[in-house]
Amino acid sequence: MARKWSRYPRRAFYAFVAPWVLGFVLLTAAPMIYGFIVSLTNFDGSSPRYKWVGLRNYIELFSDGDMWAALVRTLAFTAIVVPLTVGGSLGLAVIINRRLKAVGVWRTVFFLPSVVPVVAMAIMWKLVFNSDSGILNAILGVLGIPKVGWLVDPTVFYSLIILMLWGLGGGMIIMLAALQGVPLELEEAAKIDGAGRWTVFRHVTIPMISPILFFQVVTGVIAALQVFIQPMLLTNSAGISAVGGVPDSTTLYMVQVYEEFFLSNRFGYGSAMLWVFFLIILALTLVLLRSSRSWVYYEVDSDAEKEGAAR
Amino acid sequence: MSATDTTVDERADLVPPTTSRLKKRNRSKKRPPSTIYILILLLTVFFIGPFAWLVLAALKTPAEWASLPIQILPKAPQWDNFVQALTQADFLGYAGNSLFLSTTYAVLITLSSAAVGFGFARLRAPGKNALFLILLATMMIPQILTLLPTYTLFSRLGLLNTYWPWILWGLGASPYMVFLFRQFFSSLPKELEDAAIIDGAGWFRIFAVIFLPLSRPVIITCFLLQFTWTWGDYIAPALLLDLDRTTLSVAITAFYQDPNGNAIPTVQAAAAVMYILPVLLIFFFAQRYFVRSTVSSGLKG
Repeated sequence: MARKWSRYPRRAFYAFVAPWVLGFVLLTAAPMIYGFIVSLTNFDGSSPRYKWVGLRNYIELFSDGDMWAALVRTLAFTAIVVPLTVGGSLGLAVIINRRLKAVGVWRTVFFLPSVVPVVAMAIMWKLVFNSDSGILNAILGVLGIPKVGWLVDPTVFYSLIILMLWGLGGGMIIMLAALQGVPLELEEAAKIDGAGRWTVFRHVTIPMISPILFFQVVTGVIAALQVFIQPMLLTNSAGISAVGGVPDSTTLYMVQVYEEFFLSNRFGYGSAMLWVFFLIILALTLVLLRSSRSWVYYEVDSDAEKEGAAR
Repeated sequence: MSATDTTVDERADLVPPTTSRLKKRNRSKKRPPSTIYILILLLTVFFIGPFAWLVLAALKTPAEWASLPIQILPKAPQWDNFVQALTQADFLGYAGNSLFLSTTYAVLITLSSAAVGFGFARLRAPGKNALFLILLATMMIPQILTLLPTYTLFSRLGLLNTYWPWILWGLGASPYMVFLFRQFFSSLPKELEDAAIIDGAGWFRIFAVIFLPLSRPVIITCFLLQFTWTWGDYIAPALLLDLDRTTLSVAITAFYQDPNGNAIPTVQAAAAVMYILPVLLIFFFAQRYFVRSTVSSGLKG
C-alpha cells in the first residue's frame, strides 16, 4: 500500500490496461518483430535448417516483376474501390436521408450485406457470376448481350470490385449519421441566400462532413490495400487450401504474399514482402494525413454547440 | 466535462447525441419525387438479389442449376439439399466448433476490453495518453499483416490446431472494443464513484459493481459484434486449425465436392444458407447495436 493516499493509484491504471498492453506486446509486436527476423532468413516454414541471408530478400524484392505487378494492381484496385465506396455510401446516405416511405426497410436492405460473412459472400457471388448458370449473364442475355466470363481474366478484376461495393452499407450508416450531424440552420441559411440544392450540398454539406469523409478514405485505403480473402474465395472452389488458382488480374499484393508463403514455401521472402507492405501502408497513411490539412474542415469551436444545447 | 478532461479527442463525445438525432432530423424536407423509388428498386435488386439467387440455388436439383437456358425457379423445392448439406460433412459438428469459438472469444474480448476501456476512461497514471495513442494507432495496423507472422510464430510454439490463439487474443482485448467502452465510461459522471471511494472500495470493485452493470448496452454491442465477426472469420481458422477441428466458415468451402473436386453448387448453397442464418437473425433483432457501433467507429476521426 502506498503511504500517501491517492484517488488515482498508478498501479490501478496499469492493472486495468495490462491485458491490452500484454496483448499488444505479445500478440502484435512480437509476431511483427519475429516476422522481421524471419525476413532475414531463407526459412521455408518447416525445415529446421535455414540460413541467415541478411537483406537479400529485400534486394530480391526490387527486381521481382511479379511483386511489382501485384503492387501496381493493388494500388489501381485501391484507387478505384475507395472513391467508389466512399462516394457510393455517401450517395446511399443522401437517398436514405430523404423523406422516403418505409425508410427503415430500405436502410436495413442497404445495410444488410455488410454483415454477411466473407465466405457466404463469395459463395453467393460465385453463383451470380457463374457464366452458364449465373443470373447476371441470364439478365444480360435477355438484353441481347453475349455471355461474359465474370470469373476469368481480365473481367474478374471488375467482378471483384462489384463484390466489394456490395458491402458498402456500413459506410452508408456512418455517412447518414454525418449528414444528420450537419446543423439544419446552415443549410437553410444557404437556401435563403438563393443557393440551389447542389450548391448547398457542395459548399455547405460536404465541407461540414469532410472530417468523416476523410476518415472513411483513410480506413478505406488501408482496408482495400490488404484485400485478399475475397479474390481467393471468389475463384477457388476449395478455398485457400488450394493455393495458386487465383487469376492474374485479381492477384493482389496480399494474394502474392500468401502464395510466397504457402505455394513456394518461402516464409523468409514472404515476411520481407509483408514488412515492405507495412511500410508502404504507413507511408500512404501519413501522406493522406498530411493532405487532410488542405481539404478537411475542422470545426474548432465545438463547445459552442454544447452551450447551445444546454440552453 | 471534468471527468473527461484527459480526453484525447473531444469530437468522440458527440457520438451519442448524433445517434439519437438519427430519428428526429430527417423529417424536415419535402417529400422526394416518386422517380427516386425506381432507383431504390434497382439498388434493392443489387443488394438483395444475391441472397435470393443463393436461396433459389439451394432449392434446385443439380440439373436444374446447370440447365440451359437458365431456369429461374425450381420445379419443386429440393429440401433434400439441406439434408445433404447436414450429412455430407459433419455440419453440426463444425457449427458447434464455430459456436464454441465465437462465444468464448466474444466473452473474453468483452470482459478484457471493458476493463481496459475503464482504465483509459476513469483512471490516471503517467504514460496514459501515449498508451492511448498507441492503441488508436494499432487500430490502423491491418490484422492480416500480423496474422502470417503469428502463424509462423504459433507453429513454432506448437499452438497450431488448438483454440489457444483465440483465448490469448480474447484475453488481450481488441483496440476497437476498448475504444467503444472508453467512450461510454468517459460519459458517466464522476459522482458515481465518489461514494464508493469514501466507503473504501477499491477500483476493481468500483468497476465490477458500479460501472460494468451500467455498461450493458455496450456489453451487448461488443458481444454481438465480436460473435458475428468470429462466426464469419475465415482466414484465422483456415490458417491455424486443421480440417478436423476447424470452423463452419472453412468447412463449407472445403467440403461439398463431387469426386472430381468440383464444388456441388446446390448443396454448398444450402450449407451457406444455414451458415448465414444465425448472423441474419442477430442482425434483424439487434440492428440498433450494429448501427450504434458503426456510427461511433466512423465518427471518431
